[in-house]
Amino acid sequence: MTEIFWVRCPKCKGRFYCDTELRYAGVDLICPFCQTSFDVEKGLETRTAPH
Amino acid sequence: MPKDLGSFLTRIRREFPRELLDVKKPIRPHMWEVSALLKHLEDQGRFPITVFHNPKNLLDKDSAFPLVMNLFASRERCALALGLPPERSRLEMSLEFARREQRRVDPKVMSEDRAPVKEVIEKGARIDLRKFPIPRLHHMDLGCYTTMPCIMRDPDEGFYDVTFVKCMYKQPRRMVASIELPHLRRIFEKYEERKQPAPFVTILGHHPAFLLGSLALTEFGNDDYETIGSYLGEPVRLTPSETWGKDFLVPADAEIVIEGLLPPGVREICNPFGEVTGHYQPQWLMPVLDVKAVTYRENALFQGIFSGHLGHWILGTIPKEGSLFNALKKIYPHVTAVHLPVSGCGRFACYISVKKRREGVAKTLGMAALLNSPLLQWAVIVDDDIDVFKEREVVYALITCVNPARDVDVVENVFNLFTTALGHRKVIIDATRPLDVPFPERIKVPEAALARVKLEDFLT
Ligand SMILES: [Zn+2]
Repeated sequence: MTEIFWVRCPKCKGRFYCDTELRYAGVDLICPFCQTSFDVEKGLETRTAPH
Repeated sequence: MPKDLGSFLTRIRREFPRELLDVKKPIRPHMWEVSALLKHLEDQGRFPITVFHNPKNLLDKDSAFPLVMNLFASRERCALALGLPPERSRLEMSLEFARREQRRVDPKVMSEDRAPVKEVIEKGARIDLRKFPIPRLHHMDLGCYTTMPCIMRDPDEGFYDVTFVKCMYKQPRRMVASIELPHLRRIFEKYEERKQPAPFVTILGHHPAFLLGSLALTEFGNDDYETIGSYLGEPVRLTPSETWGKDFLVPADAEIVIEGLLPPGVREICNPFGEVTGHYQPQWLMPVLDVKAVTYRENALFQGIFSGHLGHWILGTIPKEGSLFNALKKIYPHVTAVHLPVSGCGRFACYISVKKRREGVAKTLGMAALLNSPLLQWAVIVDDDIDVFKEREVVYALITCVNPARDVDVVENVFNLFTTALGHRKVIIDATRPLDVPFPERIKVPEAALARVKLEDFLT
């Protein structure tokens, strides 16, 4: 089972989620909606999953 | 004639034309249009093999490769692929699958100049994966993915492991390979420990029996080419690869072969990707594939799976039902059928029917099932008068025979590979009628009347 966290793309505001291994991997995330690369910290949301 | 995808489609067109839909109009797979069309069909309850004759490639130009989707979205077609009549597509097919898992057929090696997959050879700068009609399937998918079997060779023992692996297009000669399943991961890690690049091949299309055979539940160390021969009913024809020659043989009758190297210690971002659970797999890091050679037939077909939909689920169901049935029979001989329903994505739930002679048997079988197949999360046990292939009957048993206080068991803190709301739990539901308390009998029409009244006598 995979633990996830949600992020919001700083450019297009699209929301998607990542495996927790990416939280401190030092690798930029890639937005699936606009293909923008961004630092994890810039996309972090306070809540972890929508309900 | 050796078996290949083209010969299978020819047979379907000739003998079962309603099972195949030819789409001639241009369509853009990389812009979700193929999955949109398949979804429209699905909403109408239609799941034909769909051949897109004029797909666009990743450059939005006409692709020379027709795209074949949804081949496995019917158990009857899977039976045909295995050489069985379509009416034997239920437990009989799964038992035949389990029988073939035990057999081996030596592959046959042929020279490159006679191998169909070598009709066109591209290497180095000539390679451009953008020529292929690689689909993007779901709205949050990060990119376009191939969804077909991949092959690796163990560096110590030399056996070939063949299994489905999705690869995301990244650059004209670069992909990201989702090596998640334990066998391929173990082989890849052996190369990584030696700091060597790992040879890796993906085949984009072959006879469906080849693809089904790649799903056999064999142990690590098994040579999968030998097992796949058992499913094809003939030796797999192999030919030297372009990159490693006789040291890495590739299927000669595949449609398209992509050869490449997974460099050690390199990972890149892939996903989200709509996976088998019907949810997106999260973004994460996976090994990179540097493509070294691409070979294909003249008029090659490009095959794909509609991930997270019916064909994907059926591919999970068939390899597990037969072996699970055989294992449970050894524990309790009165087990009558086993089915992994597509509503459980073909992997996460099993329905077991049993002629129960004593109380407690159902839960014993449930525990055994959950141990037998690590992907299973739910086990539902019903009486033998319930047809486990008819879900409405199973749900009837769940609604009318289950006392939650005694018949539902949640096993806490057990590992589940796939993420569902269950988390790390498994559930056993005994939906059989209790034998140890007074319980109403199920209604039935008298057998003698059923035998006497024949439908054809009254409806003609
Ligand atoms: Zn974005």
